[in-house]
Amino acid sequence: MIAIEDLEVRLGDFRLLIGRLEVRDGEYLMVLGPSGVGKTVLLHTLAGLMKPCRGRILVDGEDVTNTPPEKRGFALIPQNYALFPNMSVYDNIAYGLRARGVSEDDVRRTVTELADILEIKHLLGRKPNQLSGGEQQRVAVARALAIKPRILLLDEPLANLDPRLRSKAREFLKGLHQELGFTALHVTHNIADAVYLGERIAYMEEGRLVAVLRPEEFLASKYAKPYIDDLMPVFRSFHG
Amino acid sequence: MSSPLVKGEPFLVTLSALATLLICFIVVPIAALFLMVDPSTMAEVFGGNPMLASQARSAFIVTFKASLLSTTMLLVLGIPLAYILARYDFPGKSVVESLVDVPLMIPHIVAGVMILMAFGRRGLVASLTGIAPEIEDTFWGVVIAMAFVSIPLAVDTVKVAFQSIDPMLEYVARTLGASRFRAFVTVTLPLALKGVIAGAILAWARGLSEVGAILVVAYYPKTVNVLILEWLNVYGLRYAIALAVPFVLLTLALFTALRILQGMVSKR
Repeated sequence: MIAIEDLEVRLGDFRLLIGRLEVRDGEYLMVLGPSGVGKTVLLHTLAGLMKPCRGRILVDGEDVTNTPPEKRGFALIPQNYALFPNMSVYDNIAYGLRARGVSEDDVRRTVTELADILEIKHLLGRKPNQLSGGEQQRVAVARALAIKPRILLLDEPLANLDPRLRSKAREFLKGLHQELGFTALHVTHNIADAVYLGERIAYMEEGRLVAVLRPEEFLASKYAKPYIDDLMPVFRSFHG
Repeated sequence: MSSPLVKGEPFLVTLSALATLLICFIVVPIAALFLMVDPSTMAEVFGGNPMLASQARSAFIVTFKASLLSTTMLLVLGIPLAYILARYDFPGKSVVESLVDVPLMIPHIVAGVMILMAFGRRGLVASLTGIAPEIEDTFWGVVIAMAFVSIPLAVDTVKVAFQSIDPMLEYVARTLGASRFRAFVTVTLPLALKGVIAGAILAWARGLSEVGAILVVAYYPKTVNVLILEWLNVYGLRYAIALAVPFVLLTLALFTALRILQGMVSKR
């Protein structure tokens, strides 16, 4: 289990405050909130890329707050996927394994296995700039899963996809999670992503964690109202 | 990405005309130099007169060896500085950036005087440490003079290359288990390679063409530029041209080859 306790992160005038947040083993936790509430700051702090000025990050009780990113085992998938453009898809997926000194035979076995599961075997020889948005997303997920991370940190990975591709990618992530059972923390400002993918939704406002609810509880709560209010005029315009 | 020129568009015609003027500004002096070559003087310099031939040969060797060494030195020291300037903010950063550009702003004769006052036998470093590097009229003096005047070209070009690379690539590499060093060597540096080559080409070119600082720090061993100046004064323009033409040809061929290599790297 990953636990955040009394976390405070400062970035200029901005302050992120998280009292307590837990991600259970195998859980897919969505962090939802409008732009600028500190979702990415939370993700980068968890990944070890930003230092908190207060609080602790625990993995099964072990304090990893000051552990460098390379020793933390938290795999990050940023919004633009950040695939290494100088490497093939194969080398991208193999990157973390090679950094850990895994033998080339084991690297090949893991990359092939993941490429099979994620249906990207035919892309292994290509460079990232030869892939579509959806393909890039799959490669980024494969690269992150290759190191068997303690948690997968996803930063709006669906934001750059067009609506049709977005819903397919959403289904793909849900199916993959059901198949492999990895632990994930996925931040988004999209309520549909949050409700469809999340086993629980952590809702944030102005740098603070406001509530952690199950999707059906969230939809019935006051926090869902602004999202629904935003859609109502659109529905009304169709129904007169 | 560059696109093909479309014929007949007034804007592009004007641009092309102005661009052609600038190209002529470079090509005409080169052509004039080549047209003024006297074949008999050339034959004398590169074979007929053993004394002149030997002077020319050793000047070419000194110039290319020293400029290659100064460029290597600049890459070893300049890549870390360029990376720090591109990636990090720290107090006094703009002062450091201005310092890097100093050799670009001052006359190169003055740069030579500064090098002597700093690293010469009676220089600041010698008086503070008691260690006096042999730079006056030595090969290493030539290397240091070339390196000093080339610093801004090497550092600024490589810095721009690092700035153009998304830092997120390095962050992701680290979350995947790579140390800072491994992430730099396997991700950032290969992506900046085109810029590093461009910085090396510019620094090397600057070193090859340097004369002012070298005249002050190390007249000997003579570089091609110093020898051209000397022959101009002693034997006249014909001899200076006979030495300058092969030098221009050689550097032109080398830099064209390097630009092709740079293009190949960027297409990978």
